[in-house]
Amino acid sequence: MSMRELVTGGTACAVPGSSSSSSSNPLGALANALIGSSSKNQGVLKEIPNNSAAAPHSQFYSHTGDPVAALPGSELDRPFLQSNAQGSEFIRGFRASDANGFADAWDEIQRQPPFDPVAGPAPPVQPSLDGLSQGDKQCIRDRSSIMARHIFSDRSEEFINSQVNALLSSLEIENDIHARGSMPGRFRELEDYWNESQGVMKPVAHPADGWVTEFSQNRIHHGGPDAWARSFEQQHGAGGWASEFEQEQAQLTSADQMRGVNMGNLAAIQQTRMLAHTLSQNGDPKFQVFRGPDQWANEFSAERLQQEPVDDQWVNEFSKLHVDDWAEEFGRQVGEGALGDDWANSYDEFINEQIVAKQRSDASRGVYVFSDMNPYVGHPNPLKEGQDLFRKGLLSEAVLALEAEVMKNPENAEGWRLLGITHAENDDDQQAIAAMMRAQEADPTNLEVLLSLGVSHTNELEQSAALKYLYGWLCHHPKYGTLAPPELTDSLYYADVARLFNEAAQMSPEDADVHIVLGVLYNLSREYDKAIAAFKTALKLKPNDYSLWNKLGATQANSVQSADAILAYQQALDLKPNYVRAWANMGISYANQGMYEESIRYYVRALAMNPKADNAWQYLRISLSCASRNDMVEACDSRNLEADASSFIYGACSHPPFLVAGSGDQNFVHELTHSRSSYGRIVLYI
Amino acid sequence: MPVFKTPFNGYSVRFSPFYESRLAVATAQNFGILGNGRVHVIDLSPSSPVINELIAFDTADGVYDVAWSESHDSVLVAAVADGSMKVYDTALPPQANPVRSLKEHAREVHGLDYNPTRRDSFLSASWDDSVKLWTLDRPASLRTFREHAYCVYSVAWNPKHADVFASASGDCTVRIWDVREPGSTMIIPGHEHEILSCDWNKYDECLIATASVDKSIKIWDVRNYRVPVSALNGHGYAVRKIKFSPHRRNLLVSCSYDMTVCLWDFMVEDALVGRYDHHTEFAVGVDLSVLVDGLMASTGWDELVYVWQQGMDPRTA
Repeated sequence: MSMRELVTGGTACAVPGSSSSSSSNPLGALANALIGSSSKNQGVLKEIPNNSAAAPHSQFYSHTGDPVAALPGSELDRPFLQSNAQGSEFIRGFRASDANGFADAWDEIQRQPPFDPVAGPAPPVQPSLDGLSQGDKQCIRDRSSIMARHIFSDRSEEFINSQVNALLSSLEIENDIHARGSMPGRFRELEDYWNESQGVMKPVAHPADGWVTEFSQNRIHHGGPDAWARSFEQQHGAGGWASEFEQEQAQLTSADQMRGVNMGNLAAIQQTRMLAHTLSQNGDPKFQVFRGPDQWANEFSAERLQQEPVDDQWVNEFSKLHVDDWAEEFGRQVGEGALGDDWANSYDEFINEQIVAKQRSDASRGVYVFSDMNPYVGHPNPLKEGQDLFRKGLLSEAVLALEAEVMKNPENAEGWRLLGITHAENDDDQQAIAAMMRAQEADPTNLEVLLSLGVSHTNELEQSAALKYLYGWLCHHPKYGTLAPPELTDSLYYADVARLFNEAAQMSPEDADVHIVLGVLYNLSREYDKAIAAFKTALKLKPNDYSLWNKLGATQANSVQSADAILAYQQALDLKPNYVRAWANMGISYANQGMYEESIRYYVRALAMNPKADNAWQYLRISLSCASRNDMVEACDSRNLEADASSFIYGACSHPPFLVAGSGDQNFVHELTHSRSSYGRIVLYI
Repeated sequence: MPVFKTPFNGYSVRFSPFYESRLAVATAQNFGILGNGRVHVIDLSPSSPVINELIAFDTADGVYDVAWSESHDSVLVAAVADGSMKVYDTALPPQANPVRSLKEHAREVHGLDYNPTRRDSFLSASWDDSVKLWTLDRPASLRTFREHAYCVYSVAWNPKHADVFASASGDCTVRIWDVREPGSTMIIPGHEHEILSCDWNKYDECLIATASVDKSIKIWDVRNYRVPVSALNGHGYAVRKIKFSPHRRNLLVSCSYDMTVCLWDFMVEDALVGRYDHHTEFAVGVDLSVLVDGLMASTGWDELVYVWQQGMDPRTA
C-alpha cells in the first residue's frame, strides 16, 4: 500500500504482500496511503509535543503570546491533523456511503493493527465532525490534481479527473469543489513565434509590438476559470501595475538610449505575457486554439448561426457544404500534425522575415528612410505642395512632396513635422517617429512635435520614451511650463506625470490638448476608462479633429468596446475619407471580433491607399492565415496588392461600398468560413 | 552510506554552502497533500556512517522546498505549502524560531533559490503563477514576477550573472528574467508538458537544463533557444528535479517519479552515465554538494534521505 502502486498501477485492493494484475484505481492507493500513513504516524505524532528541538505548539496556536504568533500568516497555521480521530471517521463514513468500489481497500485497513488511541496531552485542535474543513478539501483537491497531472501525463484530462475524483470520494470530498484548472497546453504554438519577437535582444519587429498590445488589453469579461481571472486581475490592477512600473524605473540605471531600446523590447515582452493571459481567459471559442475536430465542428456550427443575417453570396455557397466531412478532414489533418505545425511555422517564418527586414532597413531606430524616385524633387515649393496634398487627403503623395522639402531644407521643422503627421495618419509609426525626431532636433520646443512623439511612442509601447516626450510637452508649454520642474526629466515616474497633467487639466479645462495628452497617458497605463473620458472631453472641445476620433476609437477597441470603436472610426472617416490609419484600425476591430473576411477588406482598402503601411500588410497576413487563405499569403508577402484585391472582390454587402460584386471564388469562400481563430486581438493605433 | 529516516515524506534536500556535512531536508506529511511539515537540519558525522539530526522545525503545512542562506551559515528558508516561507536560524533557540514568516503568495510555494553571487536575496516560486524576490532583512517581497500562466515549480539563479534567473512553470515554458527589467527577457517553450525544474550550468552561463513531465530533460543554450542542445531521455516518469554539477561542466543529476536518480553527461552520445534506484517511492529531491566533489544526496516519498558519493551504491552501509 504505497505510492509505488500508484505508479505501477497496482490494485488498491491488494492484500499486503500479494499482488494483483488488475489495477482498479491507482489513486485509491493514494487514499489508502493517506489513511494508512496517518495511522503509521500516530506514534511519531505523539512524540512531537515532547520534542524539545522544535516547539510546534507555539506555531499552531495563535493565541499564545509568542512572537511567532504575531508573525503574518500564523493565523493561517492549521492545527495538527487529528489523524487518529479522522481515521475512524473515514471508516465510519465509508461504511455509510458505500459503493465506491473501495470495499476491499477498507477491509484491508480493518486488517491493519488498530489505531493507537491518542493518550497523553493532545494538542487542543478543533476537530470538526467530518475531520476536514472546506479549505482542507480544496487543498487536497488542488494538490492531488496537480500531482496527478505530473504522474499521468500521457493520459487524457478525463482520466486524470476521474482518478482525482475517485480519490476524493474515498475521502468524502464533494466533487463540486472547483479545482485548479489545468495548464494551458495550447499556448505552445503562440509561444513559438512570440519567442521570435522577444528573444532577440534588438529592436523588436514593429508590428509585433503593436498588435500584441491589443491581446493584452483584452479584458476579463469573457469569463473563464476563476484561477485565471484572479491572477489576471492581480496583474492588471492599474495601481499595481503603475507601482511595479515605478519600481522598475527606480532600478534601471542604464543610459536613456539603451533604456529606450530595452523598453521597446520589454514592452513587447510584457505584452506577450498578457497575451498569454488574455488567451487563457477568453472564453469566447473564437479565441481558443483548436482543440479537437468535434469541438471545432460545434464552434463552427455556432459561427454559422451567428452569420445567418449577413446576406452574402459566400454564406449561401457555404451552406451547401457538409460540415461533417470537412471536420473529418480537418481532424485528420490535425492528426497528421500538418495544420498546426504549418501554421505555426509559417508564422515563425513571417516574424523572422519581419525581423530581418527591420534589421536591414534601419540601422537603429529613428533613422528616416527616404523614398526612391521622388517626383517632387526639384519642385519649386514642395512644402506648399505637400500641405495641399495633405489637406486633400492624398497622404502618400504628400509624403513624397514633404520629403522633397526636407531634402531641400533639412532644418525645416515644419516640413519634418508635417511629414511626421502624414506618416502617422498613413499608419506608419516608424517613419512618423523618425520624421518627428528630426523635427524635434530642428525645433525642440514645438509642442505638436512633442505630442506626436509621445503618441507614436505610446503606440510602440515604449513607455519611458513616451513619458519623456509628453513631459517635454508640459515643460515647453507656455501655460503649464511652471507646473513641470525640469529636473524630473531624468527619472520620470508615470504617476508623477499623470498627476501634473491632471493639474494642468484643472488649470484650464477648456484646453483640448491637455485632455488629449491625458488620454494618451491613460492609454499608456491601460486605464482605458479614464482615457476614453479624457478623449471624449477633448472631442467636445474639438469635434472635427479626425485624429481624435481615431484615438477614441482605438482606446475603446483596446479596452474591448469594439462596437463603440467602430462608430468612432466611422466618425473619423466621415471627416477624412482617406485616413489610412482609421481604415486599418477598422480592419483590426473586425479581426478582433473574429470577422476576418471583413477585416481583410478594410486592410486591402488601407493598403490600396498606402502600400507602404507595413502594419497593415502584417495584419492582412494574419487575417489571411486566420481565414485559412494561405495561398494569398504569398501574394501578401510579395506585397502584391492586385492579387489580393481581386480575390477579395466578392459579395455585394452593406460594408465598404468600394468592393464590387464579382467573381466569387468558391474555394476561397469555403476556406474563409473555416477560420481557425487562434489569435487574440490586435492593438489599435491611437 | 548513511541514510536518514524522516517521519514525513521527503520533498527536498539541500547541502549547506558552509558546512560540508550539513544538509537541510524539507518534508511533508501525507505526500504533501494535507497535513504538517517539517524541516530537518542533519549532519553527517565524519566517523560513523550515521546521520544525526541537529534540529528540526515543524510547520503547519507541508514544506515543499528549503534553501540555505548564502550569507549566514545558520540560516535557512523553508517554502511551505500554505503559501508562506519560514526563515529559521539554527543558532537560535527553538523558541525563537521561525525567525520570520514571509507570507505573500496566494498559493503553495514550491521552489526556492538563494542567490549565490549576491548572497543577499532569494526567490520563491509559487503555484499562484508568480515568482517573488526577497531579502532576509525585509518583511515584504522586493519584486513580483507574474507572467507565467500556471504554477511556477522551480526557480534558479544564474551562477554568473547575479541578476538573471530562470523560472520553470506548468505552462510548459521556462522564462529567463533579469531583476533589473520589469518583464521576462526570454521565453523558452521547452516542452509540450509541464516543466518541473530548471537549472543553470555552473560553468557555462548560457546553458540551462529543463526537466519536464514528458520524462525528458533538455539542455538549452539561451543564445539559440529554438533548438535544444541536447535531450536526455531515460526516465520512465516525470522528472522532478535536476541539478548541474558544481564540479564538472557536463554533469547533471536528476530525480524522477520513476523512483530513480540519474546522472547524465549531456555532451556524450549515450548521456546516461549513472542510475541509482535506491528509493522505493517517488524520488523528488536531489542535490550535489558544492564543497565536496561527487557528494550527492537524495530524498523521496519513501521518507528516506540518502547521502552518498557518486559512483558508490547509496544503500551500502
